[in-house]
Amino acid sequence: MLRKGCLLAGAFFVLGCGGKSGPAGGDDSGVVLTYWPAPNAQEVQLADSLVRVWNRLHPGIQVRMQPIPVSQSTEEVLLAAIAGKTTPDVCSNIWPGSLHDFTQAGGLIALDRFPDFDSVAAGRTPSPLLETFRSADGHFYQIPWKTNPVMMFYNVELLESAGVREVPRTYGEFLAAGAKVSRDTSGDGQTDIWMGERDIRPIWWQRWFDFYSFYIAASGGRTLFDKGEVAFDTPAGVQVMGFFQECYRRGYFPRTFYQGGDPFLLGKKATHFAGPWQIAAMQKFAPTMRFGVAPLPVPDGYEGPVYTYGDYKNIAVFSTTRHPAEAWAFVRFLVTAQHDLLLLELCNQMPVRGDLLSNPLFGEYFQRNPKMAQFARQVPTTRGMDVVPDLKEIFDGIAQAYERSAVYGAIPPEQAVADAARRARAIIEWNK
Amino acid sequence: MRKLRSSEKTAYGLILPYVLFFLAFAAYPLVFSLVLMFHRWNIVTPMEWIGLKNFSRLAGDPLFFKSLGNTLVFLGFHIPLQVTVALAFALLLNSRIRGRGFFRAVYFFPVVVSGVAVTILWQQLYAFDNGVLNSILTSFGMPRVPWLVDSSVAMASIALMATWKNVGIYIVLFLAGLQNISRELYEAAELDGASPWQVFFSITLPMLNPTIIVIVVLSTIGGFSLFIEPYVLTGGGPMQSTLSGMLYIYNQAFYFNHMGYAATLGFVYAMIILAVVLLQRKLIESEPVQ
Amino acid sequence: MKNLWKYAGLLLGAVVFGYPFLWMIAGSFKPEMEIARLGLWSDHFTAQGYTLVISKIPIARAFVNSILVSLCVTGSVVLFGSMVGYALARLRFGGRRVLYLVILFTMMIPFQIVLIPQYILMVKLGWTDTYLALVAPTMMSAFSIVLFRQFFMAIPQALIDAARIDGCSELRILFTVVWPLSRPVIVTVAVLTFMTSWNEVLWPLMVVRERSLMTMPQIVTLFTIGGEAESQLGALLAAATLLSLPVIIAYAFFQRYFIESMASSGLKG
Repeated sequence: MLRKGCLLAGAFFVLGCGGKSGPAGGDDSGVVLTYWPAPNAQEVQLADSLVRVWNRLHPGIQVRMQPIPVSQSTEEVLLAAIAGKTTPDVCSNIWPGSLHDFTQAGGLIALDRFPDFDSVAAGRTPSPLLETFRSADGHFYQIPWKTNPVMMFYNVELLESAGVREVPRTYGEFLAAGAKVSRDTSGDGQTDIWMGERDIRPIWWQRWFDFYSFYIAASGGRTLFDKGEVAFDTPAGVQVMGFFQECYRRGYFPRTFYQGGDPFLLGKKATHFAGPWQIAAMQKFAPTMRFGVAPLPVPDGYEGPVYTYGDYKNIAVFSTTRHPAEAWAFVRFLVTAQHDLLLLELCNQMPVRGDLLSNPLFGEYFQRNPKMAQFARQVPTTRGMDVVPDLKEIFDGIAQAYERSAVYGAIPPEQAVADAARRARAIIEWNK
Repeated sequence: MRKLRSSEKTAYGLILPYVLFFLAFAAYPLVFSLVLMFHRWNIVTPMEWIGLKNFSRLAGDPLFFKSLGNTLVFLGFHIPLQVTVALAFALLLNSRIRGRGFFRAVYFFPVVVSGVAVTILWQQLYAFDNGVLNSILTSFGMPRVPWLVDSSVAMASIALMATWKNVGIYIVLFLAGLQNISRELYEAAELDGASPWQVFFSITLPMLNPTIIVIVVLSTIGGFSLFIEPYVLTGGGPMQSTLSGMLYIYNQAFYFNHMGYAATLGFVYAMIILAVVLLQRKLIESEPVQ
Repeated sequence: MKNLWKYAGLLLGAVVFGYPFLWMIAGSFKPEMEIARLGLWSDHFTAQGYTLVISKIPIARAFVNSILVSLCVTGSVVLFGSMVGYALARLRFGGRRVLYLVILFTMMIPFQIVLIPQYILMVKLGWTDTYLALVAPTMMSAFSIVLFRQFFMAIPQALIDAARIDGCSELRILFTVVWPLSRPVIVTVAVLTFMTSWNEVLWPLMVVRERSLMTMPQIVTLFTIGGEAESQLGALLAAATLLSLPVIIAYAFFQRYFIESMASSGLKG
């Protein structure tokens, strides 16, 4: 009886001592880090697995994962947390476009203060790409984690049946293909097969999948800004705007808001500009469709590798952390090759690595998923967002110019680009 | 300070709640808005003083001027339509007819229904592909009208909808105004042998001047406050042709989190409304009333 | 003959202003394919629009919220409006003229200028996503004060004097003597206030994000633009009908009060 009591008391004592240090219960001097992954199911699952492994390996540094509420955008939640000083130690859902707001509010710590940052970051991500993540003050407040490069999906059936034998690589080839593909197959006088389709509403983030990706491609890897100044009112910008204007003017893209489901999945359009997530959608909703993945079309006469927009999510450590070195150790843990492989396998998301196709570790995955290999090839030539204020409104300006010029043909492409640039300059000026 | 009479104490007691309310919801917001206009603020991070930058931005903001232009287009359709339709029905109702109460009730009904319900209803009327109006037109062999999808038509369509919703109030107002015109004036005119048109233009219309002013002023204020219709129907498009002032303020505040700039916009719009209303009263009142 | 034209015009008006609502209600019960038709009849009436609406949004809850908020606001506006109106009309106190001018002034302020600061005030007070935010900013109305004052000024002084001699406090006079005589103005203010409060949608959109607190017009708005209707026109019309239902019922009984309230207030405006 007494022995039982002692055992019970002992158990309570041990459990009681667990206290705040988390499930695996370390001693009171243990470090506890909070980690916020992205709120979608696969990433939560990935985060869960990684955190479990970490916690087993590091009893003294426990990580507690907390999912971000789904109802709000991560940017809003993080910004509010920065203001209220309730930020986690680590978050892996950092959209580079919000970096300006986060750093201006003093919410992040510079990661390059850690001596091994260079070897970790540069060893993983090829240098020209890595440089794009450096902030204006020369420091890195984020480390690139995963990317969704925007590429062109194409419906093999639709192209072949229209007599298009090669996947279009330039604007000229694309428009020529468009002439053959966009047609009326039901005899009611209205086109029902389209070369492509884009959301015609001036929604700011939709432009990432037309104007912005194509601009990065057409300009050979340049983004909208150069050292904080507007730099997209260039011939490349005009070419991109003009290309889309032609697509609509010639009737290759529908000038209406398409209702009734995704036209690419339904086999109603031949091309679709999207990232690797589309592959999962294809497998689920159109498993029998023969499709391919190719780099985005570029202006005629363009030479060199094809760049594109990579929708990144990066990892950052917040300034409220009381254990920066431990937090950085956890970040290092997240970006090891093994765990990048898990990112591929569990979430089908592309780690920002330069050695995806050369490292034997990933060989088997890419053999099983040849379409993903296309995206892997594209990774080094992706570019992201500039670290400038009010990106949302700047893209809103681009979206409105795109609507006027490309969709409705109301103004020539030169004017559209000039308008968008003027508005972007006014916004930057206002923010100084 | 002299001692308060007991009736004064009671009076102060009665008005105290309102005074507090006024301070909290009228005085404070006014003062704060004047402060906010000189700052940049996204609510989360601290306010930043930027002097007159909001104003210089506004002066060069094509969307601000677009919204003003759109409002003018709206009012240009809405006010004349409102006045003529309301007057027409009021004249009909004012004559010797049966069932006046019934008709008045039907005409007034759209006024009390929620703007949201009316907007959803008209969304179906105005739909391009299979909307009710276009279905009627195509059944007569006429081409479909791009009510909300053509930038030169969209705002006029919204003006038509707004007229339909609100004209009931003005029918009632005109009716009351008409019934206030003394019979003697009409009898005198009849004795003079005036034609109905002459009677209308020299007696009826001038006597209705005050009512017309009310309609024009209220419609103008309503036009500047347009929000839920473009918000639901068009999102401000196509090509920003239905972007109203209120919608632009809402977007700046809640979409882009520019509280200071939104406050500046609000202030400028308010000043414009006041100026326009004052001008309208002067212009319409200046017509001499016999 | 002239009469025939008049009736034709009046009937046309009745069709133009009344038929769309009948169409809306009928359309909410029609299958998708038949909605665009002009007629009211369908061979396949269905309630699928309504089931979609009810399954996607807490519309009953929103209805309750709207009732709660509108009743509170109406009660409060009538109470405080009559109090201040009475003080301005029948009591003498220092600053009476100033107060009246201030009240007239607040009626002239376009709301565009106070909207954003009022929202920020709600945020600062922590009142966002609460009923307070929906009720407080409209719980008193300068317009109602003006209406009450105007009406109260016409009440015979003798009645009030008699009550004072009896030893009634001013508050008791207000509620027991003045109010019973003020049915027209109370009804006018109540009807106008309730209607305005019920239909208010911009303010709730700003201060309430929590679905369980949303008002009926607000939740129907979000249902319409948020895509939850899954492009089912029947569901959209059902939502609009449900939103209009309380007003239709109230109008059927109190239509006279609605019209007369508007008319009497408009003339003063």
